[in-house]
Amino acid sequence: MASMATAERIGKAAAAPRVAHARVSVAGVLVWALIVTGILAMAVPLVMTAYISFFRDAVVVFPPSGYSSSWYTRIMEFPRFGDALGTSLRIAAMATLGSLALGIPASLALVRYRFIGRGVLNVLLLSPLTVPGVVIGLSVYVAVVETEIATEFPLIGSDIVLVLAHLLITVPWVVRLCVANLVGLDRSIEEAAANLGARPWSVLWRVTLPMMRQGIVAAALFAFIVSFENIEMTLFLIAPGQTTLPISILQYLEYKVDPLVAAVVMVQTLVIASLLLLLDRYVKLSRIV
Amino acid sequence: MTDTYLRIQGLTKRFGASVAVRDVDLDVRQGELVVLLGPSGCGKTTTLRMIAGFVEASEGRILLEGQDYAGLPPYRREMGMVFQSYALFPHMTVAQNVTFGLRMRKLPRPEIEARLAETLDMVKLSTMAERYPRQLSGGQQQRVALARALAIRPKVLLLDEPLSNLDANLRQQVAREIRALQRAAGLTALMVTHDQDEAMMMADRLVVMSDGLVQQVGTQEELYERPANTFVARFIGHSNLIRGMLEGGERLVIPGATIGLAGHYDSSGDCTLAIRPERARICAPDDPAARITAKVEDATYVGAHVEVLLVLPDSTRVILHDPTDGGAARRFAPGDLAGIAWDLASERLFDDAGAPLAARSPVHA
Repeated sequence: MASMATAERIGKAAAAPRVAHARVSVAGVLVWALIVTGILAMAVPLVMTAYISFFRDAVVVFPPSGYSSSWYTRIMEFPRFGDALGTSLRIAAMATLGSLALGIPASLALVRYRFIGRGVLNVLLLSPLTVPGVVIGLSVYVAVVETEIATEFPLIGSDIVLVLAHLLITVPWVVRLCVANLVGLDRSIEEAAANLGARPWSVLWRVTLPMMRQGIVAAALFAFIVSFENIEMTLFLIAPGQTTLPISILQYLEYKVDPLVAAVVMVQTLVIASLLLLLDRYVKLSRIV
Repeated sequence: MTDTYLRIQGLTKRFGASVAVRDVDLDVRQGELVVLLGPSGCGKTTTLRMIAGFVEASEGRILLEGQDYAGLPPYRREMGMVFQSYALFPHMTVAQNVTFGLRMRKLPRPEIEARLAETLDMVKLSTMAERYPRQLSGGQQQRVALARALAIRPKVLLLDEPLSNLDANLRQQVAREIRALQRAAGLTALMVTHDQDEAMMMADRLVVMSDGLVQQVGTQEELYERPANTFVARFIGHSNLIRGMLEGGERLVIPGATIGLAGHYDSSGDCTLAIRPERARICAPDDPAARITAKVEDATYVGAHVEVLLVLPDSTRVILHDPTDGGAARRFAPGDLAGIAWDLASERLFDDAGAPLAARSPVHA
């Protein structure tokens, strides 16, 4: 009996690969088709932008009369390119640091303590994600203008207002990612540290925060990108001399569509991509996102 | 009398209206390993966590060398704990894990190095110092957790289910290793477990807990031979419990039958008789030694003994372990009537409240 069953099993096992193979190839084709379609859909805008940035003609026509990389050498002709890129990077960096400074303690409080108003705080911290950016931008604009009138202090276009506004949309990301990270941590590891003589601050500094590293890096990454590429909200808060790169691209596109703007977008993409690559040296991004 | 090293007095923990631990008293001598044993939810872990300082006691005192520790934060208690999940620091190497407590104490570097080498040697992990916890097997991680707790030279070693995450075949070996280390270091230790075999194998003394209450404190032999109540009788080893009415001090009346007891008890009313499977024997139903007759339901040869399942007239099931050599069990087939016999030393009778009744030899024997 036993040997027969074994023989049967071996027989099945030998036959199985062929059957499975046939089935896999049908499903496999479908899966691959989906994957390829997905990747294409995601890559088309970027590929097209890259393609257009090498057109020779100043007016985008298809097919182009020739190709040239001259737009990249003329990138400084883009109005206030350096200023705008600098502002974008500066605001994004400050918004990232600020949202970490607010978001990490907030997520620790939300996960580790039970206090009155905890539920309200939780909803409040995530709510900006549910409000359209245009609405937030308009509200912040009205509030800032009212403050300007009251204090006679120029605020619109200042870094501080832009950073504070960006915190509204970056903090929810930081809180969300850090909370998810903290919930997964074994509480007894912190107890072990206390048991071995670590005071609460040492526990936080030497055990909790290092264990949250992955979450914190992911949070910083999201905060930076969310701030860097924001348009809807930022639109209300810039001043004539003070603008971010996405806004100047938008303003440029109102008058002109030429390969120069495509080249600018490619440079912006490269800046972000190289930041990601740099970060990847310290934390394996593929494990976080 | 030996001096008490760790004394726990009236330790109580209330969570809102419910009481998790109720008035626990315990004296532990220096160098002793005491095991808190009980089913899950009995309060043993909460008791250990109160001693470690992770849970604040609602009432009671924790006296170590005469000093009350109940109000101290965990980081001042000098108690090394081994956690069930090991709780190793994942971002530190074995060496960094083991020296964490020493670095917190700001010991001089040579001293830290010396203790690291010594402790790793004790747990046989000297070659693993630069590995990260995730690169170690479960057994090795457990030893790192132990080394980390030992390195601070704790006043008390606390072990929370230290073996429950290990493979079954590794448990006995690790249990012996922990016991040997604890003895060699002369450490006072408190361990929590739900596993009776583990507890019996490692403990100097055991504390049996149930429903937040200490049921009995004693050595393995005391708990087994003189259980303080029916809970301990059933929880430590196995006991057949037979409920009935005590009449005339030496007859237990159960529905449909009367059991002739071996002892005489100065009591009456509802009682529970506890008989261990290996302390009673099966005999012919008309044997004068038979105290009750029962129907054989099943008999299974399990190697060490024959496990006989019998049903009393009130349909209480009784398990007996009959010796495989020269035992009587094999003469009986399922459905046969058989007698059950035992002597005075094997008989335990508990009153309605679960407290043991003292037996004396019957007047007419």
